[in-house]
Amino acid sequence: MRRSQFLMLSVAAGMFPAMALAHGPTRQKTKVTVVVAAEPGDVWAAIGNFQDMSWHPVVHSSTGEGANAIDATRVLTLGDADGRTISEVLYKFSDEKMSYSYRITEVEVEVLPVTNYSSHLTVKPRDGGGSLIEWRGAFYRGFPNNDPPEHLNDEAAIVAVNGVYQAGLDALVARFGAPEA
Amino acid sequence: MLWWLVLARLRLDATLLILALAAPSGVAGDIAYVTCQNGNTLSVLDLDSGREIARWSVPGQPAGIAVSANGEVFTVAPDSKTVRRHAHDTGAVLAEVRLDGGPMGIAHDPQRDRLFVSDWYNARTWVLDAVSLEVIGELPVGTAPAGLDLSDDGRFLAIAGRDANQVYIFEVDSLELRHQLDVGTRPFGLRFAPDGRLFVSNVGSNDVSVLDPVSGGLLATVPVGDRPYGVTFAAGRAFVSNQYEDTVSVISLDQLQHEAKIAVGEYPEGIDSTADRQTVVVTNWFENTVTLIDANTLSVIKELQTGDGPRAFGDFLLEGKT
Repeated sequence: MRRSQFLMLSVAAGMFPAMALAHGPTRQKTKVTVVVAAEPGDVWAAIGNFQDMSWHPVVHSSTGEGANAIDATRVLTLGDADGRTISEVLYKFSDEKMSYSYRITEVEVEVLPVTNYSSHLTVKPRDGGGSLIEWRGAFYRGFPNNDPPEHLNDEAAIVAVNGVYQAGLDALVARFGAPEA
Repeated sequence: MLWWLVLARLRLDATLLILALAAPSGVAGDIAYVTCQNGNTLSVLDLDSGREIARWSVPGQPAGIAVSANGEVFTVAPDSKTVRRHAHDTGAVLAEVRLDGGPMGIAHDPQRDRLFVSDWYNARTWVLDAVSLEVIGELPVGTAPAGLDLSDDGRFLAIAGRDANQVYIFEVDSLELRHQLDVGTRPFGLRFAPDGRLFVSNVGSNDVSVLDPVSGGLLATVPVGDRPYGVTFAAGRAFVSNQYEDTVSVISLDQLQHEAKIAVGEYPEGIDSTADRQTVVVTNWFENTVTLIDANTLSVIKELQTGDGPRAFGDFLLEGKT
């Protein structure tokens, strides 16, 4: 469980307004991919519902509105029933492309040290069988102003997002198995 | 000098020399200077041949760019707070300055050989001597100044105050504030059209404000795509990069109406047009490419690879020499 990376502790809790207008000077991006033995359709059946993130080990529950329509929303509760939350909105969804894109509308930087976060989850066929699962994100660091403290700088943001992606994708490898060779 | 510094310097010079030699002589096409923020590089692209003819190392996560008509290239690296002047053919740093604040956008004034650099964190814009890069003045503006541009006649300077939801228009000669104008929500990129009107893209309200810099009047508000970032002009049209939508919006300059959307790469940002105003070039930040668009047919001509995280926030094209 990589919960420690997801639920970042912060000595600066409460120091920063949740809805800061400004953001850091450099948008960050990251991409984590894994390959699994299952066919894309089977993987998409498991993860291709914006309202169901039970496949991710850190997500305790998800409530939302709008199913998989554009502008659908969800609130993820992390860890356990009284865990911290992340609010998200869907802005692209395609069963055909096996891909959806969403943005975080509200999260405290102590939970995930990012702002202006958008993300894409995509399943693609893998050469030689099985699937490639790709999770990509674009975001600014948690600290909107100049000279960020270490735990809210660009590197901290990338480490945290990579941790979330890796934990989710590792769980899918465990579930669907790694492809042979 | 320490021996390893000397060696490193020699190696650097040799690299620059090789890159310079690799550039074809008598280039006809326009050249794009694309700041690649995540890669700490600048990609030099020959738009005609479609080749990346050089990739400069530019530390400090460069985003802002201003290419002057006489071929000087200025970059802003906000992470290291550095503004640099580069030789356009080799990338060699001819001057650099560290500005205490959040340097962001940059515009060059060719008539007076000055630079304007927005300070994202301190509600001001620096005025720099373009040769020495010495700070010679400061213009107070609203919160989070981002994009800036000079009118083609050199009379006006416009600055977008992103978090103030305002645009500031200065007389460049006197550096006096002429207008302080309410626009849409969170104006970021802006540019003067060839006819003198000012187009401002508002990332928060997904529209473009069209302003008259002389009267200060709001001429129109044109809805575009999601998260409009930058604007440029070609073939009698305005082209706006829609960051969250992977498209470029097309607005007719005579009707001020949204004409079309063109699909480009992911996270389109910096946008500029060639000197003949026939081709639009947009950088795709997430995909590490630029897309070339035929401004008449509105079709994609080709895509070129760049370094990691192309932003090119500003004027990034230099007219090719024959």
